[in-house]
Amino acid sequence: MDLPEPIRRRLGDFSRTVFVDQTFSKLTPEDHVKFLNQNREVVSSLPLQMSLFFNLWFFPLWWISEVVMLQLKYPALPDYYKFILITVLILMTLIEGIRLYLGYAGNLQEKVPELAGFWLLSLLLQFPLTLFLLFNEAILIQPLERGVHIILALFILAEALSGFVALRAMVRNTESRFHLRQFNGIQELGA
Amino acid sequence: MSSISSLVPSRFLTLIAHLVIVITIFWSRENNVRACLPLEYTNEEYNQEDTRLVVALSVTLGLFFVELAGFFSGISMFNNNQSLLSTACHASGAVALLFFLFEQWTCSIYWWIFGFCSVIPALYEMFLLFTVLGLKKKPL
Repeated sequence: MDLPEPIRRRLGDFSRTVFVDQTFSKLTPEDHVKFLNQNREVVSSLPLQMSLFFNLWFFPLWWISEVVMLQLKYPALPDYYKFILITVLILMTLIEGIRLYLGYAGNLQEKVPELAGFWLLSLLLQFPLTLFLLFNEAILIQPLERGVHIILALFILAEALSGFVALRAMVRNTESRFHLRQFNGIQELGA
Repeated sequence: MSSISSLVPSRFLTLIAHLVIVITIFWSRENNVRACLPLEYTNEEYNQEDTRLVVALSVTLGLFFVELAGFFSGISMFNNNQSLLSTACHASGAVALLFFLFEQWTCSIYWWIFGFCSVIPALYEMFLLFTVLGLKKKPL
């Protein structure tokens, strides 16, 4: 089950702009050697895979705690927070499922667009939502919620950091394997 | 390896459950502290018992940190003895602390729970850390 083609293309372009040095550089002799050797090193990241595995096992625990706490404090919340918290819960559930699937596929099969999608979802969507649940005192944070949200935030942080390192290594590897860097700056040559 | 299929996730889950309950008690220790004190108490007595409980919880968190460091660095992740011991101790610790919270047991009972359910796995973990890092034996 792959991501749709336009999304893959955009995520691939994004990865190449963010994670690789953009200046036009001549290929060094060791780049040629790497290409000729058909570099077969494994670029899946172990810390990232461990974080994903344990996050997957932790997710049901987090979900059950959050739902039970929400159900218990529901009558005491103002109306707008009732709506906001239910929306946040549904969003976080969906995003977590997609994120963990993309992380597994991207890391184990060394696919750059999936891994980039996972990284963006973690950093830009899941992390702010978790911080909102953790630091907004107006939603009557319960002690159990504090416990599980702290652990989820630590997991997302670990995945963002190890995901960044893994994504950079993977993009550099695909670049060297497909000898793409020689095409940087080709626009200027034509003009 | 057969231990990947069930021992590692179960050890992780019981560890996290115990950790979550300890963090929960940190924030809701008022009832338990009041259960230790006589019916009439002064503020100083309350603060004294409160400080004792905070110290106990902090030491528990420190031992958790030792065990998680050994677990996530891979030194004791696949050691079947430690996984079994840790799973049993932390599961019983989580259940005992659940009763501690809901039934509002007194503070002195916490030291018993701490002794049996946090110290034993942490001691074995430190022993494993010493053998692997100090004596240069293989982790498994």
